[in-house]
Formats: sequence, C-alpha cells, structure tokens
Amino acid sequence: MAISIRGVSKKFGDFTAVDQLNLEIGSGEFFSMLGPSGSGKTTVLRLIAGFDLPTAGTISLDGEDVTNKAPFDRNVNTVFQDYALFPHLNVIENVEYGLRVRKVGREERRARALAALEKVHLADFAERKPAQLSGGQRQRVALARAIVVEPKILLLDEPLGALDLKLRESMQIELKELQRDLGITFVFVTHDQDEALTLSDRIAIFNQGKIEQIGTPHELYEKPATEFVARFVGTANVFTAAQSQNLFGVNKKTMIRPEQIELGATGQEATVMESIYLGSSIRFILKLADTQVIAEVSASDENAKTYRRNSTVKVNMSKTDLVELD
Amino acid sequence: MTSNSSVAGAAIAVTPARRVSSYLYNHAKLRLRLLIAAPVFWLGLVYIASLLMLLITAFWSIDEFTGNTKVIWNFDNVTSLFTDALYSTVTLRTIGIALGVTVVDILLALPIAFFMSKVAGPKVRNILAISVLLPLWASYLVKAYAWRSVLSNKGVLQWILEPLGLNTPGYSLFGAAITLGYMWLPYVILPIFGGLEKVPGNLLEASSDLGAKTFTTIRRVILPIILPSIIAGSIFAFSLTLGDYITINIVGGANQMLGNLIYTNVGTANNLPMAAALALIPIAIMFVYLGSVRRTGALNNL
Amino acid sequence: MKLKKVKALAVVAALSIALTGCAAGASNTAGTMLDKLGANEKSLTLLGWPGYAEDGSNDPKVDWVTPFEKETGCQVTFKPYGTSDEALSLFKTGQYDAIAASGDATLRLIAGGSVQPLNTKLIPSYTGVYSFLKNRNWNTVDGKTYGVPHGYGANLLMYNTKVVTPAPTSWSVVFDGASKYKGKVTAYDSPIYIADAALYLMKHQPALGIKNPYALDDKQLAAAVTLLKAQRANVGEYWSDYLKSIQSFETGNSVVGTTWQVIKNSMSAKATVDAILPTEGATGWSDSWMIASNAKHVNCAYQWLSYIDTPKANAAATEYFGEAPVTSDACQYASAGFCDTYHAGDANYAAQIWYWTTPISKCLDGRTDVKCTDYSAWTKAWQDIKG
Repeated sequence: MAISIRGVSKKFGDFTAVDQLNLEIGSGEFFSMLGPSGSGKTTVLRLIAGFDLPTAGTISLDGEDVTNKAPFDRNVNTVFQDYALFPHLNVIENVEYGLRVRKVGREERRARALAALEKVHLADFAERKPAQLSGGQRQRVALARAIVVEPKILLLDEPLGALDLKLRESMQIELKELQRDLGITFVFVTHDQDEALTLSDRIAIFNQGKIEQIGTPHELYEKPATEFVARFVGTANVFTAAQSQNLFGVNKKTMIRPEQIELGATGQEATVMESIYLGSSIRFILKLADTQVIAEVSASDENAKTYRRNSTVKVNMSKTDLVELD
Repeated sequence: MTSNSSVAGAAIAVTPARRVSSYLYNHAKLRLRLLIAAPVFWLGLVYIASLLMLLITAFWSIDEFTGNTKVIWNFDNVTSLFTDALYSTVTLRTIGIALGVTVVDILLALPIAFFMSKVAGPKVRNILAISVLLPLWASYLVKAYAWRSVLSNKGVLQWILEPLGLNTPGYSLFGAAITLGYMWLPYVILPIFGGLEKVPGNLLEASSDLGAKTFTTIRRVILPIILPSIIAGSIFAFSLTLGDYITINIVGGANQMLGNLIYTNVGTANNLPMAAALALIPIAIMFVYLGSVRRTGALNNL
Repeated sequence: MKLKKVKALAVVAALSIALTGCAAGASNTAGTMLDKLGANEKSLTLLGWPGYAEDGSNDPKVDWVTPFEKETGCQVTFKPYGTSDEALSLFKTGQYDAIAASGDATLRLIAGGSVQPLNTKLIPSYTGVYSFLKNRNWNTVDGKTYGVPHGYGANLLMYNTKVVTPAPTSWSVVFDGASKYKGKVTAYDSPIYIADAALYLMKHQPALGIKNPYALDDKQLAAAVTLLKAQRANVGEYWSDYLKSIQSFETGNSVVGTTWQVIKNSMSAKATVDAILPTEGATGWSDSWMIASNAKHVNCAYQWLSYIDTPKANAAATEYFGEAPVTSDACQYASAGFCDTYHAGDANYAAQIWYWTTPISKCLDGRTDVKCTDYSAWTKAWQDIKG
C-alpha cells in the first residue's frame, strides 16, 4: 500500500477534526477525499504531508512508519489550494526549489525543471514572477514544482477550487492525463462531487471527521451506503422507512436516483409541482401521495414537454433500482 | 415634475458656504491643492527649508571673539572634516557602533519577530507585542540611566557575571552599544514582525514539503521575502545610533561619537557653522545607505 | 519651470536675509551706566544656574524669590541653564534682564556688549561683599564693574579612601600617577578643564612659564593637551552632570578625580570618599550677576542684584547650591558649620583658587609679546583630547 492510515485521530483543543480513521490507498491510484468543508478531509491530507502530527494512530508511506516525521523527511509532495508559490522567485526558480535543496547540480536542475514545466505547458513562462501569471498558470507552476522532485505520492488540496468552471474542466483532464503519465499516487481533496467522480479511481466520502464510505465513483453513485453519501454524491430521492413501506412495501430507508424514475402511461399518479429545464434533461419535482419526488427525464423525450405545472403524470419506479440505506 | 424640482430647489438656501462647497465640488484639482496645502507647507518650509538652512550654515563662519555667526562664505569647515584626524576617527567609531548595534538588533529581532508572528498563539502574541512596545513608553533618559545603573561596578550585570569570572563592560563603547541596542530593538522588531506577517504560513509548509529543512527554509524563503523589512528596521537602528549623543554620554565612559562633536560645537563652542558641517557627515552616510537599499524596496516598508 | 526656480531662490534668499538680520541684531554696543534708580517695572526676567533663584516651586522650604517679589513688586521669571555656553546663546536672544554667569562666560558677555557696566553705588549690599571677590578680571574690565558676586567654590580632588592610598595631596594622582587607577579616573567634561592641567603644569613644569592657567600661548596649550591626552587613557568617564558623578563614585566606577563640594556633601554616608584642596591649589568658579545692556526692567534688575547679596538671601541661595557665600554676614543665616565647610571668607583658601575665566587672545596674565589661545581653540583642543 502506498499510504496506510490506522486509527488516526487529530484533535485541535476540544474539536475532533479526524476521528479514529482507517484508510488504505494503493500505488498509482487516483484517490479522492470528498466531503463538505470541515469534514476532516484536508486535515487527513495535512497529516499525510506531515504539516500536522496525529493525536493518535499511525501513518505509513510505502510500508515505512512516518507518523512523527517532518514534511521534509517524507517522500510526498503537495499542491496547495492557493498554490503557495514563492513570490521572490520566478517560475523556473520555483520549480527548481525542491531540486536545489536536494543539492542537484545547476544544469541538471534547470533541465529537469524545464521538463516539468513542459509537462504543464508553461515552458515559455520560465522567467516570469508568480505575480505576473493567471490563476490557472500559477496552478500549473505549483504542479510542476511538486512533480519535479518525482514523488511517489502527490497530495492535491482543492487545487482547482479557485479556478473558473471552463478552466477547471480542462485542468481536470490535464490532471488525469498527468497522473496516468507519471504513474504515481494522487490523493485529491475536493468538495466538488462532479470533480471527484470525473477524476477518481476511488473516493472516500468524509463527514464529521469520519469516512462514510469508500468506493469507486460507480459504487458510490449506484450503491450509496448511507443517506449522507446518497445525498452528497449526485441527487437522490431518499425515503424514510414509512414512505418506503407505503410506496414499495419495503420497511427500510431507501433511495432512488431521479433518472431511474420513469414518467409515462403506467404507475402511480403524481402532481407536477415544478419543472426545471437543464439543457440535456428536464427535472420534475413531483408530489406522489405525501412524498416529494425528483425525477429527471431526457430532454429528447417528446412526452416530457407536455408535463406542465399542476398537471398529473404517472410515475413508475422499479423496485430493482431501489437502494436500501443503513 | 418641473414644479416639484423648483420647490425642492427653493427649499435649499443658497448660502455663500454652499456656493463655495459646490464650486470646490466641481473643481477637484483645486480641492486637492487646498487639502494638501498645510502638509506641503509644513514639509516644505519647516522641514526642507530648515535642513537647507543648516547646510548653508556649514559654509559660513563665526566671529571668534563674540561667537556670532557671520556670513562669510568659505569651505574651511567642510575641508577640515577631511583633513582633521579627529573627525575621521570619530566618524569611523560612530559608524562602527552603528553597524554593531544594527547587526545585533537584527539578530535579536529575527527570532523574536518570528516567534511572535508564526509560533505564538494570539494570547502570547499580544503579551509579546505589549512587552516589545512597553519600553517605548518610558523616557529615553530614564532608560539610559537605568542602564547606567545596570552596567555599573555594583550593577546587576556585574552580579550576574562575577560568578562566571567575568566583569561588566562598565561605561565603555561596548556598554553604549548594548544600551543603544536595547533602545532601538523595538524599532527593528516591529518592521520585521510586519514583514513576517505578510509571509503566508503555507510558504513555509511548501518549502518544508519540497524537502527543505528548517534552516534552509529560513535562508531561502523567509529571509529573502522579509529582506526589505529587515533593511527598514536597520535604517531605524543605524540612523538613530548615528545621531545619538545622550546614551554615549551616560554609559559610554570617556568616549565621544559624532553627535557629541555636533553637540559640543553648538552647545560649548557656540560654533554653529562647524556643527552644521559635522551634521553633513551623518546626512551623507544615510544618503549613501538609503541609496544602496532603495532598490530592494525597503523604503516601501518604513 | 523657470518660475518655480525663481520662487525657490527667492525663498532661500529671504531666509538667508532673515538669519543674517538675527545675527547682526545680536551684537549691539555696550549700554551706558545708570545714574540713579527709577520706579520698579513690576517685572523681571532672570537667567541663571539651576537653584540660583528658587521661588519654592521645587521645594516649598527653599524660597528667596517670593520675599523679593513682595518687597519690590518685581515679578520674577527665572530660566535655568545647564552650561555656560548654553547661557551665552540664551542670553543673546535679548529676552533676559539679568544673568548669573560664571567667569568662563562673563568676559564673553562683556566683550559681546551684551551686559552693561554697573553703578555699584546703587547696590547697597555690595559694600558687604568680600573684597577678594571685587574688581577681579572676570567681573571688571577697564575699571568698570560689570557683575556683582553670587557665590564661589573650588573644583576639589575627590578620591575613594579605600582604593586610593596613600591619601593624595597633589593633582599628580590624576595626571602623572593616573595610570595606577586606569579606567577609574574622572574629570570635568568641559574645555575649561584644560586650565586644571595648566595649573598643574604651572607648578610642576615652571620652564613652560605659565603664570595664569587661563592665559596659555600655543606652546603652553600644547603641553596641557599632551598632559590631558595622557590622562585620557586612564579616564573612565568625564562628567558634567553632578548627579552622574555622585553615582560613579558610589558604585566605584570612579575612584579619583575632580569634584565640587556639593557632590561630596551629597554622597551617601556609606561612600568612602574624601575631597581635598591639593597643594597646587585648584580651579574654581566665582559667579556674577550681570544686567543686560538692553534690559527692559533695569530698575528691577538693580533691585535683584542688591537683594541677592544681602546676607539672608545670599545664605539661602549659596547653601542651597553648595558654594561659599559672598559676605561674612551670610554665615549667621546659614546652618551651623556651613561657612566652615565651604571656607567662606577664607582669603588664603580663596587665593589658591584660579576662578574660571574665559581664555581670550589678549593674554590675561598681561603678556603682550604673544597671542594667547582663545576659548574656541580650547574647545577644539578639548574635542581632540577626548578623541
């Protein structure tokens, strides 16, 4: 295992940021830690990097116990949320920094830094100061600076959080390609579920200092274990045990995804409360008996356009699509 | 609409004050000039002109018998600065002390400011900030005389050093340097603290993350970034020491600095032109110093 | 641009003229002697050493100004100064009616025309003043009296009785023998201290031909400077603030050097020090009250000069400062032993004192074949000595 976290807790005064956490991350994995702010995901990242030391538990990197080691004694590198570029150094000097402190010779240093800059398409900006770069460019410099020292593990703390949507999407693709190209472990912290689903091999869902569920994007979306995961990853219709009993004859808390709900000729009658046009699909908020249900239908479905506010539609929910929650 | 607005217009009496206000409102440049007139007057007449007068005085002479200043233009005073061994000796001594005080203050201020800025919690930081500022509330003279007592043969320093087989430096150049270092330390800590406050904590983490040990981080990241702040602090310590004549008198033993020569020429010799000529020395030194640090951006941190 | 330059030049020119005007205004011709007194002006502005005109504001028990004000109706405003040189520049502003000046300032005041000759007939108390204080070269020029005495004292030799053994009787302990107490010798921080060295040379190197320690030609000054430069290597610190000197002797930072009687008197009981008048004699001061040549309140000023030499007022003033009074009648108003401590009226003691006098180029010892070194030369020499 590239990273092995066992029974790790981190307390700040009375506040428990991370509570008895166990986590294994494999080599070459693109692993995401997803959760709302304050859920402990960034703290776990900082514990791995060594910026904070755990209150309890052990952390191993490639089988080596690094629990109490300083950041400079760990073979991991971090890409910071706000980039943390050295303002007094230009781009190439920033990238060279890790090599310089490792006493790599000047020519080799320069060559490797340029190669890293080329990987992030910034070789032309080598002589600029960070202040002269755009947010996206600074992000790439931060990436180049981290990968130039060839870490086995790269930690990324919401690296795309400060970028606008278009840039974020193109950077996501680049990150994924970079990770495949380098073949190293990426640990990626984000609160953006789309980003996590797009990029990750596996995702850990954080809530209140604990992991709710770990799984592939597919597993998390299709088979959420808890209501928190169901609601945090994608949109979910969550039914209480009573509602489930009423609708499906299942006396358990359940969930169904909006796009798995069919609207048409058969099924239970529901009233359309609201219809929202989303481009590729249309979202309906329906009232089914006493229960509010969200359904999503492809915009190409000709019938969908006829379901107007306050009209009545028939709702068909297959019991096989139903997921039982803990 | 028309009747409404005319009613509203009539309700506002057109007083002279209002007319002036509206005139100024429409003439932004005039407004600005009026605003800065007082400070410019102060800076121009009181500050620059008096300095200029001083410089001019250096080229005058005095009536040796009555001690009155006479406007006889000559370079004798300025020439003697270069030819008289006394002035070069004292100048070198003064620069030496000023440099020593500056270096020691920076070495002391760096860890204190770093601790305040990056290590201490808000409570400890406040206590430290107050402790640093507190001595500034006490009179300069009181502090100098306090050090006179500390450095004396029966002082605290002797009491501490005696068991170690050492002696107090007493009233000497070294004693004066210690006292001056104490006097100016807050003026060095504050700009460095301000500079460190502007260094984001994650830069230190980033450096450490990239493999730099603590000392390397200090040398390669912190020091280059706060260099302008250090220079700003050094300007205070250096220039204040350069002009001192009181501390050296109280704890400096029989030694004199440039300030004493100037003071003696004004106070004892009643020779204002010579004093003005001597005052040119620290001004020249500071010009050279400021000129050489101007490019570092330190002057933006004063 | 051109206009701006012209404006700047005009400002500089105007300022220069203003300053020149000030300088020129300060030197005016000596006033004439007053024939008889007129009515008091109700106001009087005085300049003097600290403690020379106490009105009870520093210590309610120390007050000889209030009785004067009640008696004459002259309201006194007093400004103290720290050094003779400061006194000179303050007095030149023309704001003061009278000044208490030491001998190293009086001649400069007289030469500069800042003070007027006095009609001593208008000063009744003057008759009671010790005759050895009258008509001296620091208060009388060309037969005209410019000042009435306030008090006098000697610069004594103080030493730590435990450290300095055997007890010294000569100034040689701070000159030729100073290296024995290297770093613990102290001296008065003023160019006038050169006279102390000159006095020592006068007694020990007669070949130099010094007749008056305040009348030194170039060669004699050079000899004094050499002696003082040698002394400088052994000096721990110079003093001009007498509180500083007290502290140095109490802590043992200084063990031998020049002092004033008041310093000896102010030392704590524990301090093992003594102060003596060495065999060579000593320099000293004799302070005089003088009236400004352009005094606005000349009648009140005469009243003050007369008052300060009355036995009671003179006793109060001199005892407070720590110096000898100028009239023997003062002793009955002073505390017991005061006049003995300060050797008041002891003409033999007084004869051994060379009172501070401003060195001028016209030799004070009467020599006419050489030019003597003046005070500005002494000032420069003093800076060189300190190095």
